[in-house]
Amino acid sequence: MLLQILVNGLLKGGLYALMAIGMSLIWGVMDIINIAHGSFIMLGAFITYWLFTILGIDPFLSLLFSVTFLFLFGYAVQRYLINYVIRAGAFITLILAFGIEIFINNLALVSWTADVRKVKVSYGAANFAIGDLVTIPTVRLIAFGLVILISLIFFLILNRTNLGRSIRATSQDLDAARLMGVDVAGTYAITFGMGVGAAGAAGTLWSILFPISPMMGGALTLKSFVVVIIGGLGSMLGPILGGLALGIAEAFGSNWFGATYENLIGFTILVLVLIFRPKGILGGTS
Amino acid sequence: MKNVWLRNLVALLAVALFGAVGPQTAAAQAKTIKLGCAISFTGAKSRSGKLYRDAYNMAVKQVNDDGGVKVGGEAYQLKIVYYDDKSNPGESSKLIEKLLAEDKVNFLLGPYSSGITIPDSLVARRYRVPMIEGGGASGKIFSHGNKYVFGTLPPAGQYFKSTLEMTQTLKPAPKTLALLYADDKFDVSVAEGTKKLAAGMGLKIVLFEKYAEHTSDFNSILTKIKAANAEMVLVAGHTEESLNFTQQAKELNVSPKLIGMTVGPSEADFRKSLGADANYIFGVASWSPQMNFPGFLLPDTQEFVKKFKAKFNYDPDYHNASAFANVAVFKDAIERAGSLDAAAVRNAIAKTDLKTIYGRVRFAKNGQMKGASVVLQIQGGEVYQVFPDGVRPPIYPFPAWKSRR
Repeated sequence: MLLQILVNGLLKGGLYALMAIGMSLIWGVMDIINIAHGSFIMLGAFITYWLFTILGIDPFLSLLFSVTFLFLFGYAVQRYLINYVIRAGAFITLILAFGIEIFINNLALVSWTADVRKVKVSYGAANFAIGDLVTIPTVRLIAFGLVILISLIFFLILNRTNLGRSIRATSQDLDAARLMGVDVAGTYAITFGMGVGAAGAAGTLWSILFPISPMMGGALTLKSFVVVIIGGLGSMLGPILGGLALGIAEAFGSNWFGATYENLIGFTILVLVLIFRPKGILGGTS
Repeated sequence: MKNVWLRNLVALLAVALFGAVGPQTAAAQAKTIKLGCAISFTGAKSRSGKLYRDAYNMAVKQVNDDGGVKVGGEAYQLKIVYYDDKSNPGESSKLIEKLLAEDKVNFLLGPYSSGITIPDSLVARRYRVPMIEGGGASGKIFSHGNKYVFGTLPPAGQYFKSTLEMTQTLKPAPKTLALLYADDKFDVSVAEGTKKLAAGMGLKIVLFEKYAEHTSDFNSILTKIKAANAEMVLVAGHTEESLNFTQQAKELNVSPKLIGMTVGPSEADFRKSLGADANYIFGVASWSPQMNFPGFLLPDTQEFVKKFKAKFNYDPDYHNASAFANVAVFKDAIERAGSLDAAAVRNAIAKTDLKTIYGRVRFAKNGQMKGASVVLQIQGGEVYQVFPDGVRPPIYPFPAWKSRR
């Protein structure tokens, strides 16, 4: 049973990490706390749902569509909306993101109603057992693999390409980067697009595992936020560590103290991290 | 110039003295009874809110088409004034206040969920205006001595009573029980009532676990159920939680002998979302579309089911029927009271003994309907009443996930 709880926690952590990685990227590079993150996840989930329901496209294939669409959408949002206020500071961008969230959620609510929907794939609840000890849900395992893949891609882009160098440069010193000829607005837009694209991937996976509805985003934003804080900004490893830490803590916590305390456990860890390692597990103590 | 001015003055006087003429005013002059309702159009409870609104609207239309409510020889049309409570109890009670103070509605129809009904019904008491509600079953609504709230759902504590009684007829009867419930007022009442009933029947409760409302992940609870080896699992929660629980039970390959749920199985959405995985799950309801009662607004239950389906394109469940009965009870009570006086109508409602498509409606002293719930089971994608007087026998035990297909 303990092993099963550990596996549950790890896999849930993987899902949390996948949700949070895009938020972490955007926050780390641009200092934007993207409150609308959960809404972008919701959009990814609905893209998968509609492609599956209307055209019969397999959810894993629709990953390509949801990521591409949300990348472009995120790019446009940053380029034509957030870029106008980005110099005004974190608080203003926070409010703008809040507005975007309200807009997206309510547009979704009006267009698709509040119905709870489900992507009904035969393998949604697929699993395999290792002996008698542990049952592993396959889709969650794939989500786990996907988050490692995405973080690897992000890592390679940030560290091995010119685009990555521009992103890091703008993140470290905006004015110097601009003086060196970096197209700051464009870089920002691409970064935001990447983060939102990752949210799209999370949405697709989420839609296979859980029922979806237009108002699902808020809770996901909150979880992503906790994961980002716990993991710390500035590294692709941060959200993974934060997600796993939260997933495992919730799994054991809800086993020992009862399921009602799941959120309490998450936020207790958040507070402890803020007290003792204000920059996150990976972020140092200063 | 002066002529125009004079003519206008005369016209104005005429309007003031005799009322304006024309088609618009004819409608305004037709007598109406306004029913106020603050219910969830948006937010977490909007799905269930719609179930109530659809049925309210259908019932009101039926009443109006049949000539309205007759009071003192005059026919009144019913009209519902709606507000969106955004699934928020604080918002809802404010809106009830607005309905009573500004819109001057005559009576109140209930919102959805116990948590919202409690504050709303307290406002109704303050204004001494009766509210009939079909969406809140928690005992806490009826334990404050509030004389102005009447509910048409059976007491929450009794929800699983019929399920437990059914298990005594199964062979071999399950002996261990895991009870899960959301931490909201209704589900806590269900769980506490069930716990008492189960103990009385000699069932052993191996897990009594509360989870946070809107929980999406049941993996740790399911792991506990597996470890505790519970034969029977009862879940008191909401549709989304029931969906998540079922899919994740399959993900983790947890197959107890019986899975029963409060909210979910009776709803068309639940079956549509889960497909074949919804099979064999038990539900409870105060009503099922397979019942047949002679009705008040409509000839009988089957007529209601047929008309409802034709109109809204989904199968009605007990939420819809309960809401439909709320309007029926108002029409009956207002006509018996013979006036629109809130106190008189309140007293008439208390004395209700009405045959509706939802069953016979009578209220206990505390305002809650007398009645019990029936057990449903999903078999082959359809919901059947299986106990008591089942149209089909219950299928038991639950076929293990691995053995399906």
